[in-house]
Amino acid sequence: MPSVISISKLAKHYQVPEREAGLKAAAKGLFKRTYRNVKAVDGISFDIQPGEVVGFLGPNGAGKTTTLKMLSGLLHPTAGSVSVLGYEPAKRAHDYLRQITLVMGNRNQLSWDLPALDSFDLQRAVYGIPTDEFKRTRDEFIEILDVKDLVKKPVRNLSLGERMKMEIIGALLHKPKILFLDEPTLGLDVTMQKRIRTFIAEYNKRYGATVLLTSHYMADVEALCKRVIVIHHGQLLFDGDLAALVEKFSAFKTVGFNIDDPTQDFSSYGDVVSVDGSRVVMRVPKAKTSAVTSSLLNDLAVDDLTVEATPIEDVIESVFSVKKEAME
Amino acid sequence: MHGLRLAFSHLRIGVMNEFQYRANLYIQLLQTFIALGTGLVGLNLVFSQTTDLGGWNKAELLAVMGVFTMTGGLIRAAIQPNMERLMEEIREGTLDYALTKPADAQLFVSVREFRLWQNTDVVVGLIVLGVALSQLGWLLDVWAVLGFLSALFMGAVMVYSFWLIVTSTAFWFVRVNEIANLFEGLYAAGRWPVDIYPNWLRYGLTFLVPVAFAVTVPASALTGRLTLQTWLGALALTVFLFVVARVVWSIGLKNYSGASA
Repeated sequence: MPSVISISKLAKHYQVPEREAGLKAAAKGLFKRTYRNVKAVDGISFDIQPGEVVGFLGPNGAGKTTTLKMLSGLLHPTAGSVSVLGYEPAKRAHDYLRQITLVMGNRNQLSWDLPALDSFDLQRAVYGIPTDEFKRTRDEFIEILDVKDLVKKPVRNLSLGERMKMEIIGALLHKPKILFLDEPTLGLDVTMQKRIRTFIAEYNKRYGATVLLTSHYMADVEALCKRVIVIHHGQLLFDGDLAALVEKFSAFKTVGFNIDDPTQDFSSYGDVVSVDGSRVVMRVPKAKTSAVTSSLLNDLAVDDLTVEATPIEDVIESVFSVKKEAME
Repeated sequence: MHGLRLAFSHLRIGVMNEFQYRANLYIQLLQTFIALGTGLVGLNLVFSQTTDLGGWNKAELLAVMGVFTMTGGLIRAAIQPNMERLMEEIREGTLDYALTKPADAQLFVSVREFRLWQNTDVVVGLIVLGVALSQLGWLLDVWAVLGFLSALFMGAVMVYSFWLIVTSTAFWFVRVNEIANLFEGLYAAGRWPVDIYPNWLRYGLTFLVPVAFAVTVPASALTGRLTLQTWLGALALTVFLFVVARVVWSIGLKNYSGASA
């Protein structure tokens, strides 16, 4: 199948004004500015197939948002090529924009003082959606997200999570084929995150839409994305199955146990992560797990021994630190 | 067609928004009448000393004041709020949503805001204009009315283009908020016909900030002063400013990088 999103050696460099702290430097900046070249995105390539839900991961400032903005036509790339649905996004062809949507968890586009229903109506006009179809889609979304009573309240009276539901409905009314979601669950509580996640999954299933999603909540990524793309300092670190990522970078397991004297030296078994009362938590190389657990049981009088896979957050963190060490 | 529908839908939202804030109506009415009152006092003061100001008599100057009030209201209702929002969004990098819409970006950012209550100025301006015209004995023919309407339209386009050019510089200079004050200060000069000002100021108000075309020229049409030459000049300048605005906006937009998330 031909890919719907294809980027090759994509780069975006910014000129950022830079000066020393202090009044003197600020005054100097009135006349002569010095700039620093920042490589927000520095030569990344990947392809995404129709219907895929891909997690786009990286620490703050990795270049995720910049990439999403280039994909949605907001930014012109410095170098490299982008093609989405056969269009060059930066040209902002109306036929292209009608098929995509961009949701940013930290920004609103609904009218603050009006009920969301009025803003939805505006979206209908903007996208030229036929009235029947518009009503059908709107009511369908309202039903899935269970927000029948909320759509009539002024947006400013809604909670953050309720507002995000409205934002997502508004952003999908034109039934886009491609969804760029930048932290759609930012700041939401666990239940609300789950609701939004389920909705995205449902939309993807019903309409076969392609989704590129960034999130700091690994639960979002685990629930939605089979494939992840990891970038750091504007460069691609990993592109493949989430399971493979965990396999590749999760070199440790977490071993926990209770012991009467938790102050003794465990360094021959592994690194101690925490000691809480009589509970000791250790990080043990994956290959040595069984050896370590059996010697713990044999040598020491340990209780309630548990072995857990490293949480995915920690895996991601180790991906970044591994790469950082390699780069330095 | 799509553009008109877009503008109309935003207008509807803008009106609904304004209905939420009734107090604004009363404040705006108060402001309108204070402005009108001081204007009338000024006018009477001048005409207690003389019967003619730069070739304009009292009723004619009242007509200028009517057009001034009306056009000012239109600018503050439809042009200024859009440009101020645009300025804000460029500065904060939040223009993103507007740019992902399948519509001409310039059109889209120019129709999003509408301040209904500013139209009190339009209504009061029209009343003042009506009073002035009745004092002048309704000496109007079709050409005067057509000249007036077309001059008003061209004036509005010119003021819009001026605002868009200055606002677009925010793509480079980031902060250009002072423009609103600058414009209001200069627009206030339009209360009087620009012919009474010294040359340098008159040229400035004509070609730099097109206040002359927004107020004096439409008023000239109603008082039998508009020549074909001026009208054609206005048309040429309208087209010129509009094209320049479009170009500056397009270049600025390419330059837009959006404050990072």
